[in-house]
Amino acid sequence: MTSTDQSPQTRADRATAKRMRRFDNPWLNPKLIWGASLLLFIIALGILGRFVWNLDLVFTGSTPLKLPPVGFENLRRQEGVWDYPLGTDGGGRDILALIIMGAPNSLFVGMLASLIGMSVGITLGFTAGFVGGRTDDTIRILSDVMITIPPLLILVVFQAAYGDVSLTMMALLIACFVWQSPTRLIRAQVLSMRTSGYVQMAQLSGASTPHIMFREMLPNLVPYLFGSFIANVTTSIVTAVGLEVLGLGPQRIPTLGRTIYEAINAGALIQNLWWWWGIPTLLLAVMFIGLLLINLGLDEISNPRLRKLS
Amino acid sequence: MRLTKMVMLASAAALALTSGAALAQDVAREDTVIFDLDRTIKDPGNFNWFTSGTKRQHGAHQAMWEPLFILNYETGNLDPWLGTAFEPNGDFTEWTLSIREGVEWSDGEAFNADDVVFTVNMALGNEELSQREAATIRGQVAMVEKIDDLTVKFTLQNPNPRFHVENFGVRIFGSFLIMPEHIWSEVEDPATFAFAEPIGTGPYTFTSAATNRAIWDRNDNWWGAKTGFMDLPEPLRLIWLETGGEESRAQLMASNQIDAAQNVTIGTFEAIQARNPNVIAWHNGYPYAWPDPCARQLEINTTVAPWDDANMRKAVAHIIDRNQIVNVAYEGTTVASQTMFAQYGSMAPFIDAVVEAGYGLPASADVAAGQALIEAAGYSMGSDGIYEKDGEDLSVDIHVNSASTEYTRTIDVVVEQLNRAGIAARSVPVENGVFWGEVLPFGAYEMSYSWLSCSSVNEPWASMTRYTNHSVVPVGERSPGFNNTARWNSDAAAAYTAIVDEMGGLGMGDPAIPAMVAEAYQYLDAEMPFIPLVQAAKLLPYNTTYWTGWPTVENNYNHPAFWWNHTHQIIHNLEKAE
Repeated sequence: MTSTDQSPQTRADRATAKRMRRFDNPWLNPKLIWGASLLLFIIALGILGRFVWNLDLVFTGSTPLKLPPVGFENLRRQEGVWDYPLGTDGGGRDILALIIMGAPNSLFVGMLASLIGMSVGITLGFTAGFVGGRTDDTIRILSDVMITIPPLLILVVFQAAYGDVSLTMMALLIACFVWQSPTRLIRAQVLSMRTSGYVQMAQLSGASTPHIMFREMLPNLVPYLFGSFIANVTTSIVTAVGLEVLGLGPQRIPTLGRTIYEAINAGALIQNLWWWWGIPTLLLAVMFIGLLLINLGLDEISNPRLRKLS
Repeated sequence: MRLTKMVMLASAAALALTSGAALAQDVAREDTVIFDLDRTIKDPGNFNWFTSGTKRQHGAHQAMWEPLFILNYETGNLDPWLGTAFEPNGDFTEWTLSIREGVEWSDGEAFNADDVVFTVNMALGNEELSQREAATIRGQVAMVEKIDDLTVKFTLQNPNPRFHVENFGVRIFGSFLIMPEHIWSEVEDPATFAFAEPIGTGPYTFTSAATNRAIWDRNDNWWGAKTGFMDLPEPLRLIWLETGGEESRAQLMASNQIDAAQNVTIGTFEAIQARNPNVIAWHNGYPYAWPDPCARQLEINTTVAPWDDANMRKAVAHIIDRNQIVNVAYEGTTVASQTMFAQYGSMAPFIDAVVEAGYGLPASADVAAGQALIEAAGYSMGSDGIYEKDGEDLSVDIHVNSASTEYTRTIDVVVEQLNRAGIAARSVPVENGVFWGEVLPFGAYEMSYSWLSCSSVNEPWASMTRYTNHSVVPVGERSPGFNNTARWNSDAAAAYTAIVDEMGGLGMGDPAIPAMVAEAYQYLDAEMPFIPLVQAAKLLPYNTTYWTGWPTVENNYNHPAFWWNHTHQIIHNLEKAE
């Protein structure tokens, strides 16, 4: 505080100028940029990797077993080789191929589940908030009931009974459990917006309900929806990875969670095969940090009060 | 006043609880042997071993219920236990059992011919007693009678030179266990009786059980010590503990929290040994593992299209590369199967006969031959690399027990091989209890991974008779004793059955048998109701920190599979480590 008081005028000017620039373009938020770069890195890994790496190595028995990454040695004193730069797992699969295939798969499940969940949530939330009455009661009670059900419990039972599922199927299942919060949040926002002047004006001028909902009100909710979307992606990925780590995800399609499951199941910890579980875990961490940063960034954009002033 | 009373009562209860807990823990670790249990005890209060579930291998038939005889895998002899002799008549249709004198149930009642006759009759008269051993007795025994207190005569339906080993000799996993007549005779329905307070003749009595463990304490009043049959075993307490997967099994072993562990992969074993040099296995060096007599195979439900076509089954057999299974799933600790039989020295004459007749299976794949058979069945390769017919992909679900990495990884390899050859195979992992309780016996699968031809260790009939058409039941009904779960019921199966039935009447060592095996095997080879994969190898870590005397190739009083009924021998051989 004292330092601000004593600082020369020019510095204060510069700070003001910086603040003004920030206000000019709130999307140039460092957190947002960092988060997006981390996610883009994973997406790029998935896309570019497909062109430069032999993805057949992702299947059981296509490589020697338990080789370490280049520059390391395993318990049998075998050294890593450049053919499999990140090492191989106990089933003869290349770790690099696994993450090239697996990381985008995990992200895909999260995105798809969240996209479906959000679409349902937006529609229901707007309908409940705007139409009101019986419709509102029904939707509100439905989402309140659903929000109390722990998704992992239901999904574990479902997948254990069903055996193998595809990625899309898994995303659909998870989507069944991620629409409630957006529904509730959007309904609340819509309720407060409904009484604002521009909405009433639109109503008076005879605009249709969908028009008011989606053309007048929705644009004002965009940053807010983005934040909610990203939070949902995180939840969906956590749920998907949780299922995979329990061995309940897709069987033959590589995912990060399944790789961790197999590592744990095959005694990778005691055999010191750290690359088998460590690399997928690291990628998941990168993914979550990326999503968190994006979420924080979006929060600052939609809520200027959170923006730092210096 | 009231409040003080309640507080006092509560504290008294708490005290009782804590002292109770102390009682349950008053056996020192060095007096306790902790065995690994690879499954959940679904119904810990049920000890009715005649019905399916985990009712024996959590200590009940290793510590409490003793067998009549124990087949010694190392000497080939039948070691006497509760029985002393089992003599056939000239044509193997009557068998006379002599029971050891002085055997007692743990409640003090005498164990005698009445118990044997009662238990056998109970199995004979009750179809609901579905366990394999009871079903086998029903299929073989015509009549059982008491001669005197220590002698029982069995009259068989058909001549059977192997009757004693097969039913009472712990040849594979278990034996027909005799139950106390004075308890079971009071029971209305033996199929639903829980036997919640079990007793046996063994040196340990039941203390407590939960879904993840069973505890047994030594009975210092054991009959065997009193009669001089054997000394009391040294451990005061035995615990069977569910450990979960390979990782937790390995960590518990490395930190001396269990004394005997279920199968682990060789990499894990080496890692355990690196952390705990007291851990040993059957062999002192590579490959460490003991060759288990239950060779692994791909079970096929022959009633489900397209696998009801023998050529389609043969195609799968051609596509499978056994060497890759050995290298990836077993990390080189086993070998590919040539036939359905365990590759023991004692089985060599029969395996050789089959191989010489040209029915031996190759260790490597012939994918082109397999694909030719699939194409001959009307399939054509689709653009996605999967065969299709009438717009439908050629696909198969393979059920696999998720209890062990060995099982799931073998099927991962098979699934991969089939997919690359154009069959959209998919692994369906199911929980141990569901796998054995629902999937296999009722034929609720297309293909599955198991070892259901397991039985023979020194003669071929026991395994071969498991696939005769006598055991065929419709899908949805329980296969008797897991026999012919493939539901193989063609003309070839009938021809096969005729030869195997004829073989059943021949004495062990009859020179005609190898040729008959080869003759019968032509039908298995032509129709492939199941596909033999690899020999099984069990790498069982034993911990010598607290206990020594574990079975090893040097100290080979019997084999090391401590979930079998012969574990009595292991427990009697254990000595406290210095």
